[in-house]
Amino acid sequence: MPTEFDWLLKGRCYKLGHDVPHAGGVVPNRIITGRHFDPKEIVPYLFEETDPGFHERCKPGDIIVAGRNFGMGPKMNGYIAMQALGLGLVCESMPFLAYRAAVGCGLRVMTDCVNATEMCETGDELEVDFRNGFFINKTRDIRREYPPVPDGLLELIELGGNTGWLAQWWKSQQDEAAAG
Amino acid sequence: MGMTAVEKTLAAKSGRTSVAPGDVVYPDPDFIMIHDGVVMGAARELDALGINRLAAPDKVVMVTDHDVIYGSARAAERGAFNRQAARRWGVKNFFDVGRGGHGHIFPMESGMLLPGMFYFDNDRHSTNAGAIGAFGFRMGTEISRVLATGTNWVLVPHTVRLRIKGALKPGVHARDIGFRLAMLLEKGVLAADLDYRVLEYAGDLDQFDLAARAALCSSPTEVRAYGVFVPPSEAVLAHARAKAQHPFTPVYADADAKYEADLELDVSSLEPQVALPGGVQNAVDIREAAGTKIDHVFLGSCGSGMYSDMETAAALLRGRRIAPHVRMFIAPGSEASTRRMAREGLLEIFIEAGAVMLPAGCGPCNDAVVGPVHSGEVSISTATNNNFGRFGAKDAQLYLGSPATVTASAIAGKIIDPREFSL
Repeated sequence: MPTEFDWLLKGRCYKLGHDVPHAGGVVPNRIITGRHFDPKEIVPYLFEETDPGFHERCKPGDIIVAGRNFGMGPKMNGYIAMQALGLGLVCESMPFLAYRAAVGCGLRVMTDCVNATEMCETGDELEVDFRNGFFINKTRDIRREYPPVPDGLLELIELGGNTGWLAQWWKSQQDEAAAG
Repeated sequence: MGMTAVEKTLAAKSGRTSVAPGDVVYPDPDFIMIHDGVVMGAARELDALGINRLAAPDKVVMVTDHDVIYGSARAAERGAFNRQAARRWGVKNFFDVGRGGHGHIFPMESGMLLPGMFYFDNDRHSTNAGAIGAFGFRMGTEISRVLATGTNWVLVPHTVRLRIKGALKPGVHARDIGFRLAMLLEKGVLAADLDYRVLEYAGDLDQFDLAARAALCSSPTEVRAYGVFVPPSEAVLAHARAKAQHPFTPVYADADAKYEADLELDVSSLEPQVALPGGVQNAVDIREAAGTKIDHVFLGSCGSGMYSDMETAAALLRGRRIAPHVRMFIAPGSEASTRRMAREGLLEIFIEAGAVMLPAGCGPCNDAVVGPVHSGEVSISTATNNNFGRFGAKDAQLYLGSPATVTASAIAGKIIDPREFSL
């Protein structure tokens, strides 16, 4: 397991409202129906319909804070872009299969963070520890504890999601076989 | 503390004495199902990583149900790819075109899927397993990890219990319960969120045969239930024992199991329901939709594709013809059903009535690969859902009803209460 993985993100808040759907709200529907899974093809269109140019303004470590029912539809495309940009995601709630898709992309994500959108505004300076469940708004001097990433999913996210996990698993199988 | 049916099943399959909602477990499945449309994606993902063998080829069940008759060159290419994948992976349980049928139906009929079992599936309608007292969990594209390693992480879901009270009136069907239930949940009359929950039925369930139990699993899935469970009746156990391909141990919830919510639904005065276009939750009593002229009818799908659904339709169509302006497609759930329909005269009834028989499988309900609707047309079907564009033009009007309602409507040429026909 890589030791350098950073579970603590320090960056700016990017706040979204409630009920943001994946199609249209996160990435344009054509990215989903066109089955684009290469981050290079998705990144330029992250939040394109609501905030064109987002990908140029955000920085690694920035944290998206969304309201209830974020990312409806079990789609991965937007999370692939968020992960590639080094962003984190904090939601008041998201449908489970959307959460599963985000974890499967290796995104640092915490859900069931009650009233998280009331704790911050876009541009605030945040520190979020996804492993231990700490949410700190340095601009407003607010500190909250939220459900962290479950222990059972840490390795999956550290390895970059499903594909990274499978690659590592296969390598360990091959190494074991070679060692006899 | 006691456990619900899904908790007991996941504990048993994960080698633990108990589990609770929120635990992450790695169940050892009884089998792993992959449907025709996603084999190529999974194979390419594994190939790119150099993974050239499956963890348990003997457990893998490949089914051909989403695009059975190859309406395009691309589908034929996919079929050839799947055949080759089955060979190189050593998958013996490969149900090719015209073999097996609908992956969410024929395993229950044939004794492959039995009470107490657990399996992984790429498709979310694996919730149908609850009809026989088993669980099938949807993995989506993560089925590739299950194929490679034999399992995947599962977050133990919460369970919501629904107690059914009373008996259905004649002419009212288990699908009608599902439509009504979706509406009551959507409107908050029944207070529960089914997102990633298991819906466990209780109460007056002996009235439901296996087909009705599959119907009970359908609509909850459309309002995001991850699993549905109908505790097997003596009749269901008798069917399972008669057909069983493997030993099995039925699972029932403990008496002191903890439920996230406890709901009750009295079905004794329920009327036939119609889901208005846009979603299963748009259910109304049939009189509110009666008289709507229709162009297209489909009988089949995970929710209404079992033999007794076909019998319901045949009883109405015997000696009658569908309206001249209506086209009706019928997709049985299994090849075994099709053969039995031939033996028992149902095929003749359907063909004489002017319906079009499709091969066992999903029919139009999968992305309109067969029998789609055109812009502005009106359809009534037993499809799993009627979201806009489910099978064809986005501005077509898709209604849902029970097998009896859609068949009666095909005869009348308009939406009609099936009780208006004497059998």
